[in-house]
Amino acid sequence: MNVTRRQFFKVCAGGLATSSAVALGFSVDNALAEVREFKLTGSSETRNTCPYCSVACGLIMYSMGDKAKNAEPSIFHIEGDPDHPVNRGTLCPKGAGLVDFIHSPDRLKYPEYRAPGASEWKRISWDEAFTRAARLMKDDRDKNFITKNSDGATVNRWLTTGFLAASASSNESGYITHKVVRSTGILAFDNQARV
Amino acid sequence: MSAEVRILETGQIEAPVSAIYHLFLPGRDLFARRAERLRFLSRDHAMGDYLAFLALLADAQQEVLDQFPEVSLPDADEQARCREQGKPLLDAGSMKRGPIWRNGLKIILQKMRESALPRAASETVAGLMQAAEAVLEETADRILAGNPAEISPQELPFVAAALQVYWVQMASSLREDAFGRPEQGGLCPVCGSYPMAGIVRSGGAEQGLRYLSCSLCASEWHMVRIKCSTCESTQGIDYHILEGSSGAVKMESCSDCGFYLKLLYLGKDSGMEALADDLATLALDMLMEKEGKMRGGPNLLLHFGRPL
Repeated sequence: MNVTRRQFFKVCAGGLATSSAVALGFSVDNALAEVREFKLTGSSETRNTCPYCSVACGLIMYSMGDKAKNAEPSIFHIEGDPDHPVNRGTLCPKGAGLVDFIHSPDRLKYPEYRAPGASEWKRISWDEAFTRAARLMKDDRDKNFITKNSDGATVNRWLTTGFLAASASSNESGYITHKVVRSTGILAFDNQARV
Repeated sequence: MSAEVRILETGQIEAPVSAIYHLFLPGRDLFARRAERLRFLSRDHAMGDYLAFLALLADAQQEVLDQFPEVSLPDADEQARCREQGKPLLDAGSMKRGPIWRNGLKIILQKMRESALPRAASETVAGLMQAAEAVLEETADRILAGNPAEISPQELPFVAAALQVYWVQMASSLREDAFGRPEQGGLCPVCGSYPMAGIVRSGGAEQGLRYLSCSLCASEWHMVRIKCSTCESTQGIDYHILEGSSGAVKMESCSDCGFYLKLLYLGKDSGMEALADDLATLALDMLMEKEGKMRGGPNLLLHFGRPL
């Protein structure tokens, strides 16, 4: 890449005194005065994958706010990624409504628990949620784990629990999901992203 | 509810039936459209006089293009070789120019001489009309080599205008499939020049796709969005807009290499044209310069100034 050559496209500090416009006799005073009134603001465009289904459409998310200045970015628009081979810029109605999903007042942001028979959801800590899920899984596995089939062959199956993983997963997270879930003996697991 | 969601009726959207078009060659009415846009932008513009002057220049370019004699072009073998090697077929840096481009320059200068211009501009026109062929060829070489430190700011717009017409003439005489894809996605596949701006298209099969617009031949070639057009990094890409603006013009900057290029979102303003709107938003370049960012490509109708 010839970066040095490009360095000459630089707009010269101190304005346009040696530019073509001035050299040809045109005034740039107004332009310079205008620039003093103007200010730039940051925004971003980011690629992501739609979280809804296994089609895994590509997205571009638009937000305002300057990452460099530590301002909290706020996503204001989401559209299909025109370069993405799966959806080529298109989205289904659910995907097209994603920006409202992000800003939904009902969006789940922390673990909640509703006890059997209770009608109220209760907010719990992540620690509590993980501990409870692990405890229940362990109890279920201890109770239902099958080490041998009817012919006496070792099978080490755990059939009473299943696992569903996310849509926007990379190959690497798919690999880790497989390793973790299969090592417990779970057979029923699926990953929404089958790409 | 997002304000930007548009509901399309059946038939308003084209399903992508083929691969993304990699290249669009310039149309034969390029300079007329450019002149019209420059004229429109020149009203109530801080640099309106200069834009109106460039509108006259673009009128002259169109006139030259309309009567351009046939130019000899690389044959099928040469085309195949360049395609295979990913070389730009009409490479501005290495191709032997025909002397015919100077006829175009002569007509442009004659047209400009008839216009009411500031004295410095008239003197430049007169000077170029008397310049020796060898001097003009050397000026052209310097412009195409792209080092503005060696280019005269007052001569650049006239000589570059003639070179643009010559390259547009050649490019528009060929078909898209004559050209291959260079290894560097940031260089024009037709002539190997730097882009002057990016265009995010609106409507049809190209909805939302970004095309880079060539500073010399005005060909537009596809480049994936959210990717630096200088170093092709996909990390650390930032977008800068003028505070309070519609966001029709954004500057895509790269924190890896420090370069930026303007992006014109036709969905926000369908009338925009790469060269005209790039020059009409020169204020953005001055603001980016203060941020320490550098332009990723030239605009051949304005020398931004030599370091003093």
